Amino acid sequence: MSLSLLIKDELKGFYVSKVMIFLWVGLPLMAILLYLFMPDSGSDVLFTALSAMIISSIAGTLAAVMLAVSIINEKNRHVYDLFIIRPIKRRNIILAKFVAVYTCVAIACIIAISLGLAIDYFVNGGVSNTVLNALQVSLTLSLSMMAISCSAGILIGIASPSILMGAILVVYGGNQISAISILPTTLGLSNPVPFTIGLSAIVTGVLLLIAIITFNRKQF
Amino acid sequence: MKCLVKVDHVSKKFKGFMALNNVSFQINEGEILGYIGPNGAGKTTTIKILTGLIRDFGGAVSIDGLPIPSKIEEATDMLGYLPQRVSFQDWRTVDHVLNTFGKLSGMAGDSLERRIVEVLELVGLSDVRHKKITELSGGMVQKVGFAQALLHNPKLLVLDEPLSGLDPESRYRVKKIIKDLSKNGTTVFFSSHILSDVQDVATRIGIINLGQIIKIGTVDELNAHFSITNHIDIVLSKGSEHWKNLESITGITNIERPSPNRFLVHTKHKVDIDEIIYSIIQKLTSLDCRIRSIKPVTSSLDEIYLKYMEGGVNQ
Repeated sequence: MSLSLLIKDELKGFYVSKVMIFLWVGLPLMAILLYLFMPDSGSDVLFTALSAMIISSIAGTLAAVMLAVSIINEKNRHVYDLFIIRPIKRRNIILAKFVAVYTCVAIACIIAISLGLAIDYFVNGGVSNTVLNALQVSLTLSLSMMAISCSAGILIGIASPSILMGAILVVYGGNQISAISILPTTLGLSNPVPFTIGLSAIVTGVLLLIAIITFNRKQF
Repeated sequence: MKCLVKVDHVSKKFKGFMALNNVSFQINEGEILGYIGPNGAGKTTTIKILTGLIRDFGGAVSIDGLPIPSKIEEATDMLGYLPQRVSFQDWRTVDHVLNTFGKLSGMAGDSLERRIVEVLELVGLSDVRHKKITELSGGMVQKVGFAQALLHNPKLLVLDEPLSGLDPESRYRVKKIIKDLSKNGTTVFFSSHILSDVQDVATRIGIINLGQIIKIGTVDELNAHFSITNHIDIVLSKGSEHWKNLESITGITNIERPSPNRFLVHTKHKVDIDEIIYSIIQKLTSLDCRIRSIKPVTSSLDEIYLKYMEGGVNQ
């Protein structure tokens, strides 16, 4: 009950503070601009692939920084005090943040890749099965990397005492951890998707568990 | 009266600094306990332990028999809390704040809506219900914090510096709300630096310094502990010239004359002030003086507080 309420509340916050618009419009727009202004852009560069690449590299970092900074900021301003003294589980505060941010970036990712797919369809007169398969891998990889980035952002947000340190840790550490998702694709497996999903779920789960334990032990 | 809050030999150390050292006290139902002490004395630490925000401490704390922090989730139903520096996410409006915290406290629908209207009216914020938190003054944000603490009709209100940053009118309003709530059975535990406000509101006062409770009691009890020399303030409308005759009364040490018709009588330690007043009235009546007023001057909380602070922790 309290978890769904907190998720809705977080999403309302993103909506009211225009974060959603930035993610859902900004990221696809950035992909289009890069496609248009890339010096060597030609028919051999599929917009779908480009979108997936841009989204996975930008959105993950963006989400992790967003989470870490908002948690550090709210923690230092004692915003959580009034949540913690309510009859809710502390872990729900963390899980709500994760679900809300991950949902927002995942939707942004899907919008950008769908846009890429649509543009490719109209420009090239169709999309081949090879492209669709590549897209499936790209999408899985993007969503997996973002899940790890989000959980790393949460852990760093809880553990870091200052925004500056948190941002540095996210950029140096959080992003590197998310690269674990790429591992199955480098092993030459015929279908790396299930392995990517499994590995990412485990890493995300472990990071979230550490974050929850740290948050539960925190003295406010 | 039933004991609602029990703090039993509580200690808390922060990186080598003893924030609380063997603190014990109880708060009975319907009581208003004011908690005073200098900066860093341990007031906020006590409050944070009581509200479950600090979970790692020595000793035992319970609210209505529920041990804290292990049963804090059950105790939070009856707990309303206003932190020292109340803060909300910038995107929220006053309405968002109250709706969210109301729902998280288990309220919903029409009853929540009615209660939001009620508490906003009570704290005087009805006009700013749909304003963003960032558009409000510090005092207004403090009142929003107070409103969220009252929202779910808690049995126990824990307020950390509830009157700081408020203008005189708001201070009066908040003090009145606290007193009215206490009359209706709500127990209030609050800290403050504004000693006169504590004296106005609290039924009992706890003084803490260097992490230790120095004394808990009513103002009279705290005063009596020191046996502060009592003074009697007299105003005469006729016969002021006979004032020197009062010096012959046993127990009076000396008399000051701040103005022609006003006298400040100083008495010896541990004398019966009522007996002295009776003797003064008899003497003045026999001298055909007209008494406009005569009253014992009681010590202010500031004086008592300073006496306790000067005396250290071993009173």
